[in-house]
Amino acid sequence: MAQATTQTVSISIPDRSAFSWKNLWIALAIITVFELAVNVYERTFAIAKGLDYFTPEYQTYWMSILYTELILEPTTLIALCSWLWVTRDRAMENLAPAEELRRYWNLGLFVVVYTVLLYWGASYYTEQDGTWHQTVIRDTDFTPSHIIEFYQSYPIYIIAGVGSMVYAMTRLPQYAKAFSVPYAVLVGSPLMIFPNVGLNEFGHTRWFMEELFVAPLHWGFVMFGWGALAILGTWLQICPRVVELIKQVYYGKPATSPAVVLNDPEKAADPALCEI
Amino acid sequence: MQLSQADVEIKNLERKFDIVVIVSMFFAFIGGYHIHQMLLAGDWSFWIDWKDRMWWPVVAPIADIAFPAAIQSILWTKFKMPIGATFSTVGLFFGQWMNRYWNFWGWGTYPLNFVFPETLIPQAVVLDGVLMISNNFVITALVGGELWGWLFYPANWPMIAPYHVPVEYYGQLMSMADLIQYEYIRTSTPEYIRMVETGTMRSFAGGVLGVSAFFSGFVSACMYFLWWFFGKFFGSTKFVKHSSV
Repeated sequence: MAQATTQTVSISIPDRSAFSWKNLWIALAIITVFELAVNVYERTFAIAKGLDYFTPEYQTYWMSILYTELILEPTTLIALCSWLWVTRDRAMENLAPAEELRRYWNLGLFVVVYTVLLYWGASYYTEQDGTWHQTVIRDTDFTPSHIIEFYQSYPIYIIAGVGSMVYAMTRLPQYAKAFSVPYAVLVGSPLMIFPNVGLNEFGHTRWFMEELFVAPLHWGFVMFGWGALAILGTWLQICPRVVELIKQVYYGKPATSPAVVLNDPEKAADPALCEI
Repeated sequence: MQLSQADVEIKNLERKFDIVVIVSMFFAFIGGYHIHQMLLAGDWSFWIDWKDRMWWPVVAPIADIAFPAAIQSILWTKFKMPIGATFSTVGLFFGQWMNRYWNFWGWGTYPLNFVFPETLIPQAVVLDGVLMISNNFVITALVGGELWGWLFYPANWPMIAPYHVPVEYYGQLMSMADLIQYEYIRTSTPEYIRMVETGTMRSFAGGVLGVSAFFSGFVSACMYFLWWFFGKFFGSTKFVKHSSV
């Protein structure tokens, strides 16, 4: 660039392929195929094999799903976070701007995957349970739709959310040495929807058999659902740094060094860069 | 003006980040808003026979103004994007319809004219318009919040009116909505659990709906204030040092 200075000589403009949609398309294709398969399975076996908990078919077709997913999910979470931690960037103060920008792009795609899975869990399968409640008078807390909703769709988006946060903490200076409050709320608050199932099932076992959706027993889910709004704060944190990096990489303008961002992430980038 | 190679790359990249931000916000808001709506006002939304004159126009607007207000408080003040309310209610609508169609109808076989959701989109457009024109959240709370409550029933009336024609069924007067719920069995939602207007000795027969809409507009205005500031909290950019956690 014309304005190249000694500070920006080392910066090379990244190839467009560094900001490719490819990984997102692959992830979305996997999610779509998986969710379609789950829906087909429900429609095939929920009424045929899932109406009576006390039959051997129920154990074969539904409880086996529960046990399998309860083993696979924590394993995946631990494996993913361990891998992200072991391959973490140990010298983040030397991070090149183009590489930092590329990692923000990856994080962005990761967050999209998280929110798509959040949609499937919090919206699709949660309201889907409403219709199954109208189909059976339940004889177990582990109905077919609970096995999918609570013990499959919720853990899956929790894995994506926690994974994306660990990615940010191990790859990006902004998140390496301090907790981002909105990001913690974005990931942590919907995550708390899952433990709230404990209260829900206790209450339904002890108090209510009818299905009143607006029962106060359910309001814990509501409060934890609000956390999804924290995506606003998360993007507001990321936006100024990304704008700053773009200007540095493509125009050679000076930007805050990663070492400074590491120690003071809140003030490192000027929020006005992203405001009107 | 000739764009340099760098300008083109920047434009391209910024547009890509825009898409990432908008798509992720859309799905996150659906997840949060739908949970919120479903568990605070969901029962009235699910069933045509719950869509009454007294409780539905009170509960639904009051509960549902929360996310539009919170999202407006960031999208408008930080980016001057006047779509906060519409963006969120369209998302909610998407989430609801995906469910009513694929699950309530597709899986549970309840007919769609039993389980279609209410609409909030006309009120949301008005709310966004008031904020954009006034550029003032106090005016939006007072005027937009009231309109949010008042417009709810008129916006939905064209959809529900056909189910309020009377029928005589085994000697009983029923509305079509009552008859539909009577015919399509819900195992876990007996009739007594339904919270609808049943009449009181203190109410006047003709004045139910107007009073409900007026009340709901007032509470919606209060909720708007509250949720505008909640939005500020969720849009905070604070960091906390690892050592202090």
